[in-house]
This record gives sequence, C-alpha cells and structure tokens, in this order.
Amino acid sequence: MIEHLEKPFSDQESLNVLNRYVRGWFTTNFRELTPPQRFAFKLISSRQDTLITAPTGSGKTMSGFLSIISRLFDYSLEGKLEGKVYCIYISPLRSLNNDIYRNLTRPLNEVYDAIVKELGIDVIKRNIQKVSIGVRTGDTTQQERRKQLLHPPNILVTTPESLAIMINSKKFAEHLKGLEFIIIDELHELAGNKRGVHLSLSVERLCEMVSNNVTRIGLGATLSPLDEAARFLVGNRNGKENGCKIVDASWQKGFVAQTISPVKDLIYTENEAIEDSLYKVLDGAIQKNRTTLIFTNTRSGTERVIFNLKKRFKYGEEIAAHHSSLSRESRMEVEELLKKGSLKCAVTSTSLELGVDIGTIDEVIQLGSPKSVTRALQRIGRAGHSYKELAKGLVVGLDRDDLVECSVMLDAAKKRHLDSFSVPRNALDVLAQHIIGMSLSQKWNVDDAYNLVRRAYPYSTLDRHDFNALIEYLAGNYVGLESRRVYGKIWYDEKEKMFGKRGALAQVIYMLNLGTIPDEVAVAVFSGKKWVGNIEEEFLIRLKPGDIFTLGGKLYKFEYAKGMKCHVSEAHATEPTIPPWYSEQLPLSYELAIEIGKFRDRFASALSKKGKGKEAEVDALLSGMPIDPNARVAILDYFNEQLAYAKVVPNDRFILVEQTHDFEKGTTLIVFHALYGRRVNDTLSRAFAIEIGEMLDIDVGMMVSDNGFVFDIGGKVFTRQQLVSAVNDLASANITNMLKQNIRKTEMMKRRFRHVAARGFMILRNYKGYKKSVGKQQLNSQILLKAVEEMDQNFPILKETYREILNDLMDLPRAQDVLSKMRRKEIDYLLINTDVPSPFSHKMIAFGHADVVMMKSRHMYLQRLHKSVMKQIS
Amino acid sequence: MLLTNEVELIEGEPIAYIKPIKSLVLADLHLGYEGIMAKQGVLLPQVNLKSMLLSIGRACSGRDVSTIIVDGDIKNAFTTVETAEFNELYDFANHVRGIGAKLVLIKGNHDNFVERYKGPLGLEVYRQETKIGDFDFFHGEELPSSKGFLVMGHEHPAIGVYDDTGRLERLKCFLFGSYKGSKLLVMPSASYFSSGTAVNIEPKSALLAPVFKQIDVDEMRAVAVGYGSTLDFGTVGGLRKLAIAR
Repeated sequence: MIEHLEKPFSDQESLNVLNRYVRGWFTTNFRELTPPQRFAFKLISSRQDTLITAPTGSGKTMSGFLSIISRLFDYSLEGKLEGKVYCIYISPLRSLNNDIYRNLTRPLNEVYDAIVKELGIDVIKRNIQKVSIGVRTGDTTQQERRKQLLHPPNILVTTPESLAIMINSKKFAEHLKGLEFIIIDELHELAGNKRGVHLSLSVERLCEMVSNNVTRIGLGATLSPLDEAARFLVGNRNGKENGCKIVDASWQKGFVAQTISPVKDLIYTENEAIEDSLYKVLDGAIQKNRTTLIFTNTRSGTERVIFNLKKRFKYGEEIAAHHSSLSRESRMEVEELLKKGSLKCAVTSTSLELGVDIGTIDEVIQLGSPKSVTRALQRIGRAGHSYKELAKGLVVGLDRDDLVECSVMLDAAKKRHLDSFSVPRNALDVLAQHIIGMSLSQKWNVDDAYNLVRRAYPYSTLDRHDFNALIEYLAGNYVGLESRRVYGKIWYDEKEKMFGKRGALAQVIYMLNLGTIPDEVAVAVFSGKKWVGNIEEEFLIRLKPGDIFTLGGKLYKFEYAKGMKCHVSEAHATEPTIPPWYSEQLPLSYELAIEIGKFRDRFASALSKKGKGKEAEVDALLSGMPIDPNARVAILDYFNEQLAYAKVVPNDRFILVEQTHDFEKGTTLIVFHALYGRRVNDTLSRAFAIEIGEMLDIDVGMMVSDNGFVFDIGGKVFTRQQLVSAVNDLASANITNMLKQNIRKTEMMKRRFRHVAARGFMILRNYKGYKKSVGKQQLNSQILLKAVEEMDQNFPILKETYREILNDLMDLPRAQDVLSKMRRKEIDYLLINTDVPSPFSHKMIAFGHADVVMMKSRHMYLQRLHKSVMKQIS
Repeated sequence: MLLTNEVELIEGEPIAYIKPIKSLVLADLHLGYEGIMAKQGVLLPQVNLKSMLLSIGRACSGRDVSTIIVDGDIKNAFTTVETAEFNELYDFANHVRGIGAKLVLIKGNHDNFVERYKGPLGLEVYRQETKIGDFDFFHGEELPSSKGFLVMGHEHPAIGVYDDTGRLERLKCFLFGSYKGSKLLVMPSASYFSSGTAVNIEPKSALLAPVFKQIDVDEMRAVAVGYGSTLDFGTVGGLRKLAIAR
C-alpha cells in the first residue's frame, strides 16, 4: 500500500536507529535533524521502501544515506563487511554523482577514524573494514573499472546507463548479488521520460538477480503526483503494486518572488529601450548581490545575455555561461567557481536546474516564462542555501502574455499547484533493448520474461501481443529464414517458448548501443571551406536557401545542404529570418495553462462588471498577484483592450474562435484561443486542421503556440455552422487514426522514427567499432519509413513511434477530453469575425510554429505543386 | 509520357521504354543493398527487389519488350559480390528470363566482379559504352565518345521543390538535354532506397558525372517521377531560380 506519512519521528527516536559512531559523527557535524531526516532515518533503517521529496539544501541526500552507512558500519564492526556492493545510488547527472562521492567520503573517513581511535589495534584483530565508496559512470577510466572489478565498492554511485551496462556484464553482476539498497535521486528528472523507463526495467532485472529483498529509496525535489512517483519507484508484484512510504517535506522551503515588466509599455517602447532597461535590471541585481543566477529559456538566449552584460557593463571573468552545448570542462569550472563563491553571476538555460551543488546563490532571475510551475520552483529554489532561508527570485516578463503567465505561475507556485508528470507506458523500443540484454545472460522462458517485465510500473499494463511481436521482431522473423542470421538479434525457439543469445558479437553490440538518449545528428556548417559550427538536423530541415540565421553570434545565409554538411555564406543583413530558438522553446504545461485560463476568467468577469464594486474587485485581484507596478498596468491594459475590441476574453472553459485577416498576405486566418498547454494544443490543432481542411477542401497552413493555434485558410470563409459540425465530428471521430494519417507525412515522424529505430536496435549507432548514424549513411528516413509501413503496419518500431508522438510528445487523452467537453458545451466556444486580429491573438500570429497539414491525396498535391511552380516560372 | 517519338517514360516508374529496340532501360538498381546494410547494423526491410520487379511488371504490360537494359550499378558493393547481392541478382535475372526478355548490363562503378557470374545469371555484360541500335548506353563515370541518342545513369538525379510552408519535397527525375549535338537522357536511380541528388539545389560543382563539366545542367529538362506519375517540370535552371527565390 502507498502511504503518506504526516508525523515525523522524534529526533531521539531517529538518532537511536544509528550506531554509536555514525550518530556521534552526525551530532558533532549537525545541530539538528532536517525535516526529511526526521522521517527517513527510521524508515530506511527498518528497510521500508521510501519516497522522499524535499527541497535542495534540506539534507535530502544524507536522509537517504545515513541509515545505510550506519548499517554498513554495523557489518564492519561485526567483522562481516565483505568486498561487495551493498548499496547502489543512481542519479541522472554525472556531476551530481561526483558531488555525492565527495560528500560521502568525508563521513565515511571520519566515522572510521573515530572507530580506529577508540579501538586501536582491535580494528585489525576484529577485521573492521572501512566502508568504501566508488563512482562508475561513462567518465570512469578503464583502469578504475578494472580496479572496481577486483575490489567492488560497498556503495556504488552511478548513472542509469552505467547501471544497465553493469547488470549485463557477467563478472560485475556477481558483485551485485548481495545488494540491499537502491537509491534513485532526482526522480523527477527520470520518471517522466524514456531514460527513467529504461532504469525501471534495469532495477527490476537487478532485483531479480539479487537474493535479498532490496530496499528502494527515491529522492526528488519537486514531484507531482507523488503516488505515481512512488509506483514508479517500487513497481508491482503479481499484478499488485508494492507498498511504499511517502515523505513529503517539499513545503519546507519558502520563497519570495515577483514578476516585473522592464518598461511601462511593452508595445510601443522601442526594442532597444526595452533591452536597455532589462540589462539595467540585471546589472543592478548583480551589483547588489554576492552571487546572482540568471536563467534564460534557451542556449542562444544564455549566450546573448552574457554577450550583452560584458559589452554594456564591462564585466569580465566574474560572469560566466553554463549550458549543455559547452564542454564538460568549462561547465565544471563554472560549477567550481560558483561553489567557491568567486563568481558574481552565472547565466544558464536548463543545466543548473538540477541538484548539483553550486554554493550559495543570493537571487535567481528568470528571463521570460519557464512555462511550468515545477520548473519555476526548481529554478527559484536554487537561491538561498539552507532550507530555512527564503529563496529570492525575480521573473522578468518580456511581453504581455509572458507577464500574465509568469504572475499566474508564481501564484500557483506559492499555492504549490505543481505540474504533473506522466510515465511513458509500454514503450516498445526501450523494452527491445532490455529483451536483448536479458538474452545475453541466460535462456529465458517467454512467460517468465513477460512477468518480470510487467513488474516495472511503466510496463504493468503491457499487452501480451505487443510483447510477442517484439520477440518476433528481435528474432528476425520478419525476413526470410536465410537472412535471419544477420537480422536476428536474439535466438528464439517458438515451440519451446524459449529465447536467448544469438551471435558471438551480441554482447559487444549491446554494450555499445544501449541507452535512450537519441543521437541528435549534428550537421557541420561550412562557410566556403571553413567550418563555422554545428546546427541540429531539425533546424536544418526548416532552412530554405537564402534564409539567414545566427550561429556563434554571427549571421549566415543558408546556401544548400549535402549529406551532413550545410553550406552557408556570410550574410550582410542585420536580422536573421529564422529565429534561433526555433527548435528549443520550452512547452507550456497543461496545469499552468489551466491556471492561466482560470485567472483570465476571474479577471475578465471583474472587469466586465458595472457599478461600484468593480474598481475594488479589480484592484483586489491585481494586488493579490506577485507583480510590480509596470506589470500591473500592462496586464490591466491588455485585458481592457481585448474586452473593448472583441467583447470577450477566452478562458479555460471558453474557446474563442476568431476569423480574421493576415496583414501582409491578405489571407483569412482562423485563430483558436485554446489555452491547454503545448502538448494538448499540438494535438487539437492537428485534428482541427484536418477537419477544416477537408470541409473547405484546402491545405491548411498552421501555427501552434502555447496560447492557441492559427490556421491560414487562404481566401476561404469559415462559418459558425461549420465550426459546430467540426467540433461534433471530431468529438465522435477516431482521432487516433486521423492523427496517425496526418503525422505520417511530417518531418517529426521521420525524426522520431529514426530515434525509435536506434533505441529499438533496428539501426545500430555503433557497430563493430564504427560509429555511424543514419544521417551519415545518407539513408533517407522517409524511404526507410515507407519500406517499414509497406511491410507491416504494426511493426513494433513503427507502433512505438506513433505511441511516442501521440502520448509523450502530444497529449491525445487530454485533447480528446477537451473535444468531448466542447461537444457537451462544458467548454463553450464562439466564432467571431474581426477585421484585424484581436490583441490576445497577436503573439500567436507573430511567433507561431509553422507546419503543414496536407490533404489526403498526395497525387493531387503533386499536381498542384506542379501547377503553382509552372505559374511562377512563366 | 512520350519524350520523343522513340522514347517513352513509363508513367510513375523510373523506367524508359525504347521502342525501336524493344527495350526497357533502368539504371542504378543497387540490388543487395538491404543485406549489406544489415551487415552494418541497419535493418532495412527487404523491399528493393520486390518493388523493382513490380515496376518492371507494370512497364511490360501492353508493351513489346525483348530486352531489359540495366545502365550500370545493378548491385551495390564495390569490392566483391556479397551473398545478399548474389541472391537478389539471381532472383532478378530469373524473373527477367521469366518475362522472356534478355538481360543486358552496362557495367557501372559498383559492378565489379559481376562478370564471374554472367554464365549462371544469363547476363550479357558490356564494359563500356555500348551501342544498341541508334542508342548509345554508358553508365556515366566517363565521358561518352560516340554519337547517337545517349543514355546514362550514375548521377541519381532528383529535383527539390519547396512547398508553401517551406518544406523541401524531393522527387527523382529524368534529365533530358543534349551533349555535343547528341540527345542525352540521364536516368533516375531505380533503387527504392535512393532519394537522389537535387540537381537544382546542389551547386553544379557537386555533380558526379564528368559530362556535367561539359554541359550546363540548368539547360536540361527535368521530368520528375514519383507518387505514381511522371511530370515535366521544365528546365533545371528554372527550378534553381525558384528554389533561390523562396
């Protein structure tokens, strides 16, 4: 049973579970127990599976480890500590692993020293060993690995990927058979993605190998929903979920934060003036604080802020950038400098969000909306060292939608309305990897393997047919018998229902290719013969000859691409035509979107009131928001303008559909003011685009954003009656099939298919020592996709690609929910006509994310393409 | 569609039919590709041969075909004939025999060591430029020396067209023009897995065949093939201007 614990144990009770030496060390070094520790020491000491959520700096790590260290020293004092692994600690970050290693080495040394001091020569007589600790990640040298094989550390600190390698290495797995504890840190970074799914299977396989009952401990800073995280941690047995104790100490750290607007008027102030004011705010904060941490939402944004601060205020080495495109060395240097307190300011995108120790930060400044309440809390939570201190944060809104979004976000954060994560269910590509991994160590009965897999929470509902199809795929059963030797990844005997290893190289191939992080294919950019940098393939796909984009702070004109090389020339323009953040924007979460919708509703109805109470109510609402005077005026104006022009403000239970005109092209636009987060909007917009496209018999140009979506319907007109029938049609249609049809043709499908194919070992990234990518082989993924489709529509790799897009990348269930609520009028909708787009739609129209929804017939499409081409030529 | 009175481009297929010599022409088949890729760790479904045989089947229907001419690169590996290639070559040759046609191969740069098997495969192999009737077939890695209607492969030509949203659509194409007073037809690759080189987007210097150092590809006509149809898109130069203008 999953149980939330409310009442902590007394300090005395907690300390009593520790042995004398460990207790002694703790009480000399700490004055008191922190909230998570008051629960955890005793729970873990009594071998309960425990999930702990607590803010950074609250002694969370120690709360997980101390009882374990105490137990290991108990073994040592009894002379029974063996050279094997008792505890595995897993975190998603290598740098966090190094921190943990450093932080635990000290207590392990000091406790042992205390024992030696007291017992003297008896330590040798009684065979009292020091409890050892070791790190094993992708960075660990060969020499160190060999040493670990001879002398395995008692506490092993590692990453999900290295753990997967260890459980598949026969020799090392021997050392894991006496395992007693597994700690998974930063659970919130793992539970919602395929890396975590991969880990969940590794953990179940590991526990299967171990004879003891292994105690599982999960740690996380901001986790919601907690029960789901607990299920992810402990998994199932025989179809029932395992018990878990949940300790929620996350409310312990408070914060003060405000949303500000850098200028009074965000619309008519010149861009330069807004920037001037913004950088003045930043400079002021840097001057005032000892250390300031600035978050931007993109890597390019980080670069721009550093560049401007240095240029405008003559900063030098005392400010630095930290983002994932920088080399590991320079990132580690920045972390070290922060820890030492010798950096005035660090600017980062997402890389400093997680729990790496960065010393004391006085204030966190967030530029633009971070698009999620959880992310906002995590970022602001980096300020103020101890959990007792208030974290201090400042959020700078860069346009009026941003201001509304950020202030609602901070309000929700105060009330701890967190965004929820969802665990990807039944991912077939990750499972394919594990089935191959399982085949390496022994022969498996198919039923046994199926049952083991279903113990992991992400696979608790795995369909038996899908599992069988996967086995068939891995056995190479989709090609003729004579080719199976090359195509088969596992040996499979259908009659005996057994599978196992195939081929002498299986082990090596497996080790070189496992993991879930896709190889983002980097495309080298050349100006003439000179290499000027790399861009992501996804970005390249969007480029047309003549497009101007920034790279490393310079402007380049795209000429052409061949294979994995992109050729450009230096551009003498002043502005890029393709925004650099195109592919890196963070998506707005569903929960935050709903909160914004609710605020819109409250605020708009206050504004529409007549009579006396109005002023006071509006004033009360605004005063309740964490905003500065500039932002207050901006938000008020924004809503008033929308109300004056369109008479209505869309909200979470009311979708405004606005038919209007594109200024430049003169075409008709349909703007859906639907605020349900990016993933839902991505899904909804495609469904509506297909429906409307068919109704009007056109290809619908489409732009999706966080606040809604926009369709370009050329010269056509869309009526109220058509809107009603579109809603009703979609609410009762099989949208899954509709979307599949539509997604099939997109760039996203090709790209995701390639990732899934690599994860599912259909395309090996590393084979017999040659590192390859499909890109390098210049294999067109569209053709590969077509070939697979023609072979079998239910081929596991294809099925998984659709599942990943519809459920992980998009949000089909919630989109379906919105549609049926629209039909039942629980969510109301209204079509209005405007000459000029209404204020709430401006950002959507200006910054949309373009994609195309095409009509069914490719043949007709081709002819039309041809016709328009001929017209333009002649 | 009819390219000339003598040459027909089969609708929707990368195949030309040459009436006076009752021949179907294909180039750059790269048979055995899937098997070779599988050995490199990329599992492609085996579709190339199957789709090619279907194309040939459709091309034969209603036409008098006595010869099938492969204008180079019937197979893929440079260094040897792989098992996978041999198996597919064998099936391909058998199929052609089943139709009652003769199989002729103009050797390309990928066709090393094929001659070893010409007996069992019933294959007529020519090393260089070969004249059949008034038509002169060569693979394309060298310049042609004789006159007549020239037919080559090697280049895998395609055109790139941007649609309204800026997405690049690439379509295989035939190129038709003239070289030193002779008509020149460049065949698209018949391989399922080849998407081709977009000749209107790549700079001219990136083209492989030496013939394009002598003539201007922009003056050639591009006839695109795909999605079941064959359509004349005008000159490569026109398409190049369009690509740059967008």
